[in-house]
This record gives sequence, C-alpha cells and structure tokens, in this order.
Amino acid sequence: MEMVVVAPPAPGRLEDLRRRFFATPLQAVLSLACLAIMVFLVWKLLNWAVFSAVFTTSGGPEACQAAAGACWSVIAARWRIIFFGLYPYEEQWRSALACVAVVVMTVLSCIPAFWTGRRIALVWGAGTSLFYVLMKGGVLGLAHVGEEAWGGLALTLFIFVTTCLIGFPLAICLALLRRSELPWISRTTGLIIDGVRSLPLISILFTFAVVLPFALPQWLQGDKLYRVILGSALFFSAYQAEIVRGGMQGVATGQEEAAMALGMRYWQRVSRILLPQAMRNAMPATINQFVISFKETSLVVIVGFFEILASGNAAYGTGEWRFAYVEVYAFIAFIYFIFVFSLSRYGAFLERRMSVSER
Amino acid sequence: MISTNSTGEPALRIENLDKYYGTFHALRGINLSVKRGEKIVVCGPSGSGKSTMIRCINRLEQHNGGRIEVLGTELNDDVGNIDEIRREVGMVFQHFNLFPHMTVLENCMISPMIVRKQPRAQAEATARLYLEKVRIPEQAMKYPSQLSGGQQQRVAIARALCMQPQIMLFDEPTSALDPEMVSEVLDVMVTLASEGMTMICVTHEMGFARRVADRMIFMDGGDIVEEASPDEFFTSSRNERTRQFLSQVLGH
Amino acid sequence: MVSLLRNQKVRNALLQVLYVGSIAAMVLAGIVIARRNLADQGITSGFDFLFKSTGWDVNFSLLPATANDPYWWYFLIGIINTLFLGSVGLILATIVGTIVGLARTSSNDLARLLGRTYVDIFRNIPLILQVFFWYAIITHLPTPRSAHEAWGFLLTSRGLYIPFPNVGSAAFAAATLAVIAAIVLPAWLGRTSRLAQPIGQRRTIQFAAAAAALACAAIILAIGRMPDTPLLDFPALQGLNLRGGLRIPPEFATLAIAIAIYGGSYIAEIVRGGFKAVGTGQVEAALSLGLSPWRVFTLVRLPLALRAMLPILANQYVWLMKATTMGIAVGFTDFFMIVALTINHSGQTLEAIGILMAGFLAINLSLAAVFNRINKAIALKGNQLRG
Repeated sequence: MEMVVVAPPAPGRLEDLRRRFFATPLQAVLSLACLAIMVFLVWKLLNWAVFSAVFTTSGGPEACQAAAGACWSVIAARWRIIFFGLYPYEEQWRSALACVAVVVMTVLSCIPAFWTGRRIALVWGAGTSLFYVLMKGGVLGLAHVGEEAWGGLALTLFIFVTTCLIGFPLAICLALLRRSELPWISRTTGLIIDGVRSLPLISILFTFAVVLPFALPQWLQGDKLYRVILGSALFFSAYQAEIVRGGMQGVATGQEEAAMALGMRYWQRVSRILLPQAMRNAMPATINQFVISFKETSLVVIVGFFEILASGNAAYGTGEWRFAYVEVYAFIAFIYFIFVFSLSRYGAFLERRMSVSER
Repeated sequence: MISTNSTGEPALRIENLDKYYGTFHALRGINLSVKRGEKIVVCGPSGSGKSTMIRCINRLEQHNGGRIEVLGTELNDDVGNIDEIRREVGMVFQHFNLFPHMTVLENCMISPMIVRKQPRAQAEATARLYLEKVRIPEQAMKYPSQLSGGQQQRVAIARALCMQPQIMLFDEPTSALDPEMVSEVLDVMVTLASEGMTMICVTHEMGFARRVADRMIFMDGGDIVEEASPDEFFTSSRNERTRQFLSQVLGH
Repeated sequence: MVSLLRNQKVRNALLQVLYVGSIAAMVLAGIVIARRNLADQGITSGFDFLFKSTGWDVNFSLLPATANDPYWWYFLIGIINTLFLGSVGLILATIVGTIVGLARTSSNDLARLLGRTYVDIFRNIPLILQVFFWYAIITHLPTPRSAHEAWGFLLTSRGLYIPFPNVGSAAFAAATLAVIAAIVLPAWLGRTSRLAQPIGQRRTIQFAAAAAALACAAIILAIGRMPDTPLLDFPALQGLNLRGGLRIPPEFATLAIAIAIYGGSYIAEIVRGGFKAVGTGQVEAALSLGLSPWRVFTLVRLPLALRAMLPILANQYVWLMKATTMGIAVGFTDFFMIVALTINHSGQTLEAIGILMAGFLAINLSLAAVFNRINKAIALKGNQLRG
C-alpha cells in the first residue's frame, strides 16, 4: 500500500525528511534499523569486492588467497573456461561471436516492430542458424568443433535458445489441441500437459538423458545434448501452453464466430484471428516464462553438461584456485543476473504499458 | 454485384428444425422458407430462439434435427457444403465482433483475400467501395477501438458485404448501440434492402421492420408463433402472445 | 471415400482416433523396446525388486535405514525426506517471504528499498547456483575443532549443530505434533465457533487451546526425557569430534537455506501482490470507522490480502516441493535421488520412473487438495469483492 501524500507548498528539506522517515517513533526505529542494515551490508560488500580485493594475476593464487577481500584474479585467470568451456582455444572468438548473435536476436525480438509471426520466426531462425554455424563450423572454412566440446556460456545460451525454438511452437500446438472441441483430443492433451507440469524438471531431464535411450530404437536416439534439449522443450511447452491457452481465453468468442461467418477455415481462423490476439494477451506471462526457463537451463549441469555452472565449478575446482569459489559463483551469478534482470524488467515494462493502453 | 433476380427458387428453406442445448429444447420443429430478395424480420421475447435460428443458418450452431437448405445446398455434416454456405451468407453481430488487431480496411480485406483468394488490389478496391457505401471511407486506416459503436457496426456490415454474399443475417445489430447511433446503422440496412439483398434480421426496431420487411416472424418458446405481412402483424394480429409482445415493445 | 472424408462427424472421429492412437502407440512402442533392451541386460521387468535389499546407504533419513533394507522402504524414506525438506523449506520461505513482502509494502522508503533489493537479487539468480554457492560456503566452514560457536549453536563443515532436547524420538514426534496442534487448534476453533461466541470469549477459548497444547508438548518432553540428562543437550567438542545436540547435515542445511532464500523472494512478491489487491476503499472505510492502524491491518488488510494470495501461494508451495529435487546436486537423498540411485544400482528403469511419476503426482494432488479445502473454507461468502 503506497499512500500518496499531498505535499503542502514548499516544505523544507529537513521537514520533508522528518515526515518521510521519522513520522512516528516506530517509523523512526524502522528507518534507523533499515539504514543500519544497508550501511553495514554495502560497506561489507564494497570492502570485500573492491577495497580489499585483488584484481591482477601478477601475485599468483598465493598472494590472492592472503588478501582480505575478494580474489578477482581467479576470473582474470580463468574467464575463458567460464565463458567457453572446453572449446578449442584458437576458435574461442567464434563462441564469443555466437553469444553476441543470441543477445542481438533477443534484443531484436523485444522490439514491437518484430512482433509478427513471420518476422519473429525469421529473426530466431536466422539467429539460431548463425549460432549453430559459428559453433559447429565445418563450412565456410571454419574448423569443425563437435557438440561435446561446446561449453560455458555458449552452451547455456544454445540450450536456452533451442528450448524456446522447439518449445514455443509445441506450446501453441498443445494449447490448440487442449482447447479442441473434440473431447478425446483435448482430454489426452490435458493429461500430457498436467502430467509434465506435475513433474520436476530435473526428473524430466534425467529421463530424457538417461532413460530414453532404452526406450528408443538405435537410429532414433541422437546425441544426449539434443535429447536433453527436447526434454527441456517439452517442459517449457507444457507451461507455455497454459499461458497461451490463457491468452486464447482472453479472446472474445465473437471473434471466432465472426471469422467463421466470413467463411474462414480452422487454420485461417487460428493464424489470422485467434493467435495474433492471444499472443498479445499472453505477452507478459510469456516473457516471465522465458525468464524462468533461462534460469532453469542451469539444471542441465545435473545430467552432466559443461554449461556455465559446471565450467564455473571447473574454474575454481582445480588445485591452486580452490579457495576462490565465492568469487567464481559471484561472477556467474552476475552473468545470470544481467540476462534475467534485464529480461524481467522488460517484461514488467511491457505489462505496465499494456495495462495503460487497455484503459 | 449482388444478384437481384427474385425467381421462385427459395434462398433458404428450413424444415422441421430442432435444436437442443443439453435437455433444453431451443427450437421446436421450425419451418421457414425465404425467397430470393425477400426481407424477413424476426422478433420475439428474449430466449425465444430467434438468435439460435439464424445462427443455425450458417452453422454457428449445429442443429439436431430437420433440414436446412441454403441456396439449394443442404447444410449437413459435409465440410465442403458448410464452407460454401458460409461464403455466400454474411452475418452481422450484436457486438460487431470486428478484429481489433486489424485496421478497418484490413478487416474488410482479409476474408476476400484468404477465403475467396482475391488479389490484394481487388480486395482493397471492393473494401473501399463498401466502406463508401456505409459512409465511412475516411476511417479506413483506423483501428476498430478508435471508432464509435455505430461506426463499428457499419464497418461490420461492410466487412460482411465485401464477401459479396447472397444472403445477409443480422443478429440484433442495434441492441448494443447507444440510442443516437441506431439510426445511422438502420439507414445503411434500409439502403441495402432497397438494393434487393435477401435479408433476415433479428431486431426489435419496429419502425425499421414496418419500412423494410416483406414478412414478419414472431417467435416464442422455440416456435414460430406468427408469420404475417407487416401491416397485418402490427394492426390486426390474431395471436395473444404477439399482441402482448407488441404492446411491450411499442408501449412507450 | 472422398465424400466420407468431407463429413464432419467422420473427420472428427478419425482425427481423434489418429491422435490418441498414435500417442498410445508411441508410448507402447517405447515400453516394449525398453523391456527388450533391459531384458538383454538381464533385468527382468516387474515390481519384485521392491522387496530385495538395496545394498547401498542413504545419507539422510528420518526412519531407521540400513543397506539391508528393501527398495520399497527406501522409496518411503525418499518420499519422507522430500516432504520433510519441502515442509522445512516451505515454512522458512514463508517466514522470509512474509518479512520481505511486508517490507516491500511498508510506507517506509528505506524498508521498501531493502525489500526490493532482496527480491531483485535472489529472484534473478538460478536456484541451483544458489544451492552450489551455499554448499560451497558450508563445506568450507572450519572443522569441528575450530567451529564457529554462538548461543550453543556450532557451525562446522560437517554440518550445523544445534541444542536439542534429550528425549527419545517417539516423545519428540509427539511433542512436535502437540506444537502443531497449538498452532492449528486456535485457527480451527476460530472457524467453527465463529457464530456461537462473541469475539472476546472466542479469543479466550483460542488462547486456552493453544496454551493447553503447548503445555502438553512440555509435559511430553519432560516425561520423555532420558533419565539423568539435562533437558537440553548442547553440542560440544569431544576429542576430534562433536558430541551431543542435533546435527543438521550440510546437504540438508544447504537446501533448506537455498530454498528459503530463493522461495522467499517469490513469496515476497506474492505477499506484496496480495496486499496490493486490497482496495484502498476497504482500508479507508476501516480508518473512517476510527480503527487504529494496527487493527486496520489485522482486521481488514491482512484477512483480505490472505485470501488474494492463497491460490498463488498454493502454486508456489507445489513448486517448492518439486525444488527439493535439487538434492541430487549436493547428494541429499530425496525421493528423486533415491529413484536415480535405484536405476543406477538395480537397472529397474521403467518401474523406478513409474514410481517417481506416481510419487510426485500424489504429492501434487494432495497439496492441491489441501489448498482447495483451505481456499473454500476462507472464501468470502457472497460477491461483495467482485467487479
């Protein structure tokens, strides 16, 4: 509850402060307590991360360990493994460029001018192909690098992007199937969606990575990476399907009837009338789902992939940098934070804008 | 343009039409035949089945018994027939149901383009023609939410006309409008009627009915209670329920 | 044939049969292939393995466990571990979330800033990363010999040691139940006797019930105390090791902390949303009746906000239960890890996955059922808040 206080004309600055923070004794105590906590935390953090920290590798791990503050030298020394994993050293520029491609693609898809089915598909198709070509090579004079050598941030981004790329169309299909008029189709789909949603993601990743090979014929098994991506896409689509369905429920029934009365067939109604409106309704929740799913890509570390979290573990795990685990985790957390925070801020902005335009 | 030949062949023939919602008997064996170019006005108390009946004609509701024949094609489970009939039957709804994510012009062009496969230029020419006809050519590039209710309903009529249908269905087209906007919509409908369009209108606008209708139909309880010419209907109705209804509608 | 395909009814029937049929066929084919593949490895399908002994150990269990115990017993242990960790995480996260959420809705700018910073930081970092982080911190704590000590609590790399009553496990369980009763009973009484008693009397009855239940807990603890020991057992260093008190293993502590902090940031947002949903009109009405701000909070804002939050909170709790599967990242034997270990050791892949699915389905459904009951019980009668 935020109370709007109408200010009397030109209050003194001190008076203003007093009213905002020391209106009652309880308020005063609360303000002072909060201030104390903040000053303490900020001071501790700054002292650790900046003032007493070591930034250069010149002293080596020993000098670094002796310092009272953070040892950022571990990042300086090991950033390549965190970002690129085991990707061949001379080729790491490709991995970096691929990450940039994904970031550009994400930024582009946040611009309303790209929000038509065809344009968004084009951006994502082009971005992902560019990423894949850069990473895998084997064409255009780029040396071939197999998926098993991919790692770090690039692998995290790859899993995220392909999850969305497969999961999003799948989600739309599931949503359409679930709201089908044919009872057996909607019931079966409902069962699949609810079943997947009731399971933890880890168990699905585990099933796709470890168990699925038993249940598939040899020629269908594919690489473990792609199986895990499929599992994570399935999980994503089960949640996204419900979001899309919610968006569809927000489209007035009259819309569908008008389209029918105009003679449009099912697919014409869906693609021209239903989906454009439903996706617009579902936009904020969709971005939120992207945010969640980006965070959840980190779970693939459990089924043994060398994504950014695992490469972080490796960065401090070996001998000389053993003590610097906090710094490495802080660094990775910071990377995640940048991605997730900006995306979720963007989602909140969009939500505000949409609720304003509705009025 | 719209075919105006009023030959003997009926545009619409309904025989023993039955419709159930669960156990509720919404339409009880309705019979109706409409000639080409004929204007029918359907009225009756709410829940009498009048909307249900005209929604059966283009299969927005599926009937459970009886026969519907539109322009000589039977409306049954055959998907091809359903598509064919919907192309030839236009409909105007109480709540306009314009597509909010498209401009007025796009609303009018989309169906001719994707259903009738007309080239864009032709579709646009047709759309502009009909927007002219409903007297809002200047609003073509606006979105529906920027228009008043009366303007939206006129766009909806233009949109239906762009498919160049042979029959037009109106499902209470003025009920959701503010009073001052009713006449602008009715004027368009009167013009349309004078050009010979086959029209079936569910409406309570009795003045419009008197001016335009060839035949009045009064429905109650899922049944056609009375069928008469407007003169007869308004002045010397024999049916008790009709008289009661008329006194309520015209009473004030 | 062609005209048949144009028939809507035939088409609909065909589509349904095709869809359901192909999904069923895929699942069946998968099972058949998997059974053959497993049979090739000498693994017979069926649930007989449940009664064989496992031959491996679990590192955390509330029930007695040895490597000789059968698989079904281990699955039970796993489920109980998951529920236990989930409940502890759920309670802690709710406490954290309530505090932060209240800070975020407070009228004090500094408190709001603090709350917002918390939410922004911990919501935007993946849970598993936080789990790794806390696990690294805890396992890098000093050894028992040089443990951090405060108020009888010991922090070591072998776990957290806390003072613990010197009672048998049965008595402790009974006392825990009594404490839970002390919380639940007054709430329940408040509902059933709502119309029968005036407010003052109802309060007295509620207090009496809570006090009685707490007294029960104290008596149980006193009686159940092991002879000739102090009531509270403090952990202390003996030789190279710590004796006494209750040891919370690092794995459990890590997960509980991570879930509490991460889940707390989500619950804080739910709490904030709940309070935002209470209309200013309701609050102004209450203030204009001359109620004090505190009473406005407890009588108007809190009850209304609680009703707005509950459905979303229920989803969050279901999510929290599923988050216990992070256990496998640090080696805590939750339900999922037991299933994974079972597959590793016995090879009974299909059966174990089936049990996993059934287990989580049961957990989800029962949580949903509980929350539906609560929701229905506290729902506002009539429709005065709609619109």
